[in-house]
Amino acid sequence: MASILLKNVVKSFGSFVGVQDMNLDVVDEEFLVLLGPSGCGKTTTMRMIAGLEHPTEGEIRIGGALMNDIDARDRDVAMVFQGYALYPNMSIYENIRFPLRMRQVPKAKHDDLIRRAAEMVELGPFLDRKPGALSGGQRQRAALARAIVRQPQVFLMDEPLSNLDAKLRASMRVQIKHMQRELKVTTVYVTHDQIEAMTLADRIVIMNKGVIQQIGTPDDIYSNPANTFVAGFIGSPPMNLIAGTAQNGTFSAAGVKVPCPASLSGNITLGIRPEDCQVGGDNLQGQVYGVEPTGDITYLTVRTANKNIEIKAGREFRAPIDSAIAVGFDTTRLYFFGEDGNRVGVK
Amino acid sequence: MASIRKSGGDNLLVRYIILVSWTLVCVVPILWFLTIGFRPRTEIIVPEPIYWPTWSLDAWRLLVSDWPIALYLRNSVVAVAGSVVIDLVLAIPAAFALARYEFKGREDIGFYILSTRMMAPAIVAVPIFFLFRNIGLLDSVWALMLIYAAINLSLVTWIIRSYMLDIPKELEDAARTDGAGDLTILWEIMIPACLPGIITAAVIAAIFAINEFLFTLLIASTSKAYTMSVALANFTGGSDGVIYNAIALVSFIAFAPILILVILIQKHLSRGLTMGAVKG
Amino acid sequence: MLVAARLCRSKSMAHLSQKLEKGAAKAAPAAAVYSVRRPRSAAAKKMFPYLLVGPAVLYLLAITLYPGLFAMYQSLFVVKFVNWSWAGLGNYTRIVQDREFWAALGNTAIIGGLSLSLQTIIAMTVAFFCYRDPFVRGWRIIFLMPMLFMPSAVAFIWKLAFNDGRVISDLLMSLGLASNNVDWLSSVWLARLTLIVADVWQWTPFLFIIFVGALQGQDEEIEEAARLDGASWSSIFWNISLPMMRPIIVVAVTLRGIDITTMFTNVYIMTQGTPGGATETMSYFIYRQGFRMFNFGYASAASVLMLLITIVVAQTIVKRAFKSGKS
Repeated sequence: MASILLKNVVKSFGSFVGVQDMNLDVVDEEFLVLLGPSGCGKTTTMRMIAGLEHPTEGEIRIGGALMNDIDARDRDVAMVFQGYALYPNMSIYENIRFPLRMRQVPKAKHDDLIRRAAEMVELGPFLDRKPGALSGGQRQRAALARAIVRQPQVFLMDEPLSNLDAKLRASMRVQIKHMQRELKVTTVYVTHDQIEAMTLADRIVIMNKGVIQQIGTPDDIYSNPANTFVAGFIGSPPMNLIAGTAQNGTFSAAGVKVPCPASLSGNITLGIRPEDCQVGGDNLQGQVYGVEPTGDITYLTVRTANKNIEIKAGREFRAPIDSAIAVGFDTTRLYFFGEDGNRVGVK
Repeated sequence: MASIRKSGGDNLLVRYIILVSWTLVCVVPILWFLTIGFRPRTEIIVPEPIYWPTWSLDAWRLLVSDWPIALYLRNSVVAVAGSVVIDLVLAIPAAFALARYEFKGREDIGFYILSTRMMAPAIVAVPIFFLFRNIGLLDSVWALMLIYAAINLSLVTWIIRSYMLDIPKELEDAARTDGAGDLTILWEIMIPACLPGIITAAVIAAIFAINEFLFTLLIASTSKAYTMSVALANFTGGSDGVIYNAIALVSFIAFAPILILVILIQKHLSRGLTMGAVKG
Repeated sequence: MLVAARLCRSKSMAHLSQKLEKGAAKAAPAAAVYSVRRPRSAAAKKMFPYLLVGPAVLYLLAITLYPGLFAMYQSLFVVKFVNWSWAGLGNYTRIVQDREFWAALGNTAIIGGLSLSLQTIIAMTVAFFCYRDPFVRGWRIIFLMPMLFMPSAVAFIWKLAFNDGRVISDLLMSLGLASNNVDWLSSVWLARLTLIVADVWQWTPFLFIIFVGALQGQDEEIEEAARLDGASWSSIFWNISLPMMRPIIVVAVTLRGIDITTMFTNVYIMTQGTPGGATETMSYFIYRQGFRMFNFGYASAASVLMLLITIVVAQTIVKRAFKSGKS
């Protein structure tokens, strides 16, 4: 129920710069995901929004109000942590009640609010238990209940699903998204898992080494990666990146030849997604390095000039290791990146 | 059988010979001393040791009639319990600061607190004696309480600090975003979460306080402030020499509660004894 | 109140009022929306940790720094009851020539060193043999018991066993190890031995409980892997357990070592320094000078010297031991 604005925010720890000159505008009621490898500054960014860290430079505003000097306890922000951070000595009921007590919500309202929050995450029968007596998924839901009980201006979620097993993660994902839509609370979500990012986000912010690489909708990020980092980070398996040279409308590298915009020349990196390659064609020559059937599709790894190229082949594709293979690319879905890693040759 | 083999020492016979021998070393003196408590005085200090005594409750009668044993017991309890309370009140905030805040001189302050544990009581014995004499606290249980608290303060601080370091920082962050202030975090989150550490520290401090001898000897100059530990050294009766059966009884009166306390915190004992440096 | 309102709103149709209130919130000054209380000033935040440690540090200063300074001051006087006469460094020049002082220092080192070595070896041996024993919980309690007696009680147990009750002599005689009654206080080494026995008996449990805990905490998979590689238990101990336990051993032995050097109770009760000062430790020396002979200035000078030794030891060995224990 509030927008979040980061303006020229810098956070340094001694000589190490955690977040560099960051500008970010989170729209009211938006679900924004910060995505990046560990150490990219995404958690630091979130902690600054929470007030657990203070920016070295720049401004942080929530709902338009300057937050720089406001302590975490005085910002109307709820956070869900990776390790759930449930208070071990309190029952689930007391855990959910804690933020109400801290914010001087009248006692008479506590019970009703707590039960409603618990209801929302289907935790009703477990209110009397201690966190230690709950499973991982239940603890996660308790942490969510504690966050939603006071209807904060902003939800912050720091890798909330990373301690859960794959199956539970998928169902919690849906639950979180549903809840956010229902409560309409501006949410910032930190993860290193691109599936979570793609499925949950209205917009994704991809970060690396303290710098925003790209901001966009999941579709946008997938179809129009701004640079090689984003291209190589998103997608499973990620986009193949092949270094080579462009000249007179042709890109070539060892064993690879594709058409490219005539405007390109010099050292260029070609990007092609595994699903935009097919067996048979004349764009790439190599040897079969590995074949991994998964049931619905077969992952094929082709080796050419000391580089492995990932390809999603048909479900029945099989080939002996080291056999020669030719690969064709969907030439309408080629990406080119310049020497600085940024996308080039876009019409 | 498999589980017995799966253990330190390849040779079972050697292992059990060693373990049983050390058991005898530990237990026999204790059992023998227990029998001393129930012997008549005439059968203790004799040219030829008597291994099968005639049982008697002499010592008990003596304690009740000649020595204010209840007073010694009360002195011990008051001084020890009071000192532990002082320690906890001072140590918990200090441990919290040392474990959770960045501030200039933190390392040095922490080490200073630790180093007071290294100081031999004898070093400060003379000045402390003068100090308490000047403020008129000689021969008082209050003085003992203050001294015991000082002796154990470093230990209690460091043990609790170690347990606080183990509490995930997330918990504190969560409380902060939930709206809690520093003192609320300490009171509602940290203290309950490291309760085992606090109990361990309290028990170990209590044991060391019960054991304290030198300061008590100096400060408690008459039996008014004697604790159990020092009262023992005064169970002598002129020509009778040391009155061992009374000593033995009093020893066991103190031993019983200590044993119970220690069994209670067994899992935390080695961590507590090393002031938190060793976990497990 | 606000919270309750929001929960209701979120349910359904109250969207309008929500928009309205949001507009109002935006218009209001920031403090009115967010700040429940005035942010604490930076200075107050900086002071806070000092306020937390302050009382403990002041208390300890009162009980260590003040006495330390007092001892230094007093050590410059010859004190006869209430008469303090200036002596300058006289106490110190006297003390460095005092054979009894050096003897006390030597006795502390000899008795303490032997006792500490014995305790370490016994504790480690016993811990090694019981740490994977099915009855290890029982062994732990049994082997702990001597430590749970008051030190003064332990001193009396051994005073009775060695001297007053002659029990140990009697046992040695019946085993044929002694021909007649041994007078333990007549010989330098026998007297020291009685102190060592009492200390080892009472305090081996301290090291044992730490060692056995460390061994029990050791990853069983490592042991199993080593067993599969054909290692015997003793080679596992020497090659794997012992190196891994090193920091723990250092901390435990350092702590025990420090306590041993303060040995007083046993000397006071069992030997009173006899024969001829051969069992007088530093602590007992200070006590005797101060409270038996009332040479308070002299005792303070000895205290100051002992304090200097303590500071050096604390700054070097202890600091390092506790740092390595952490990692």
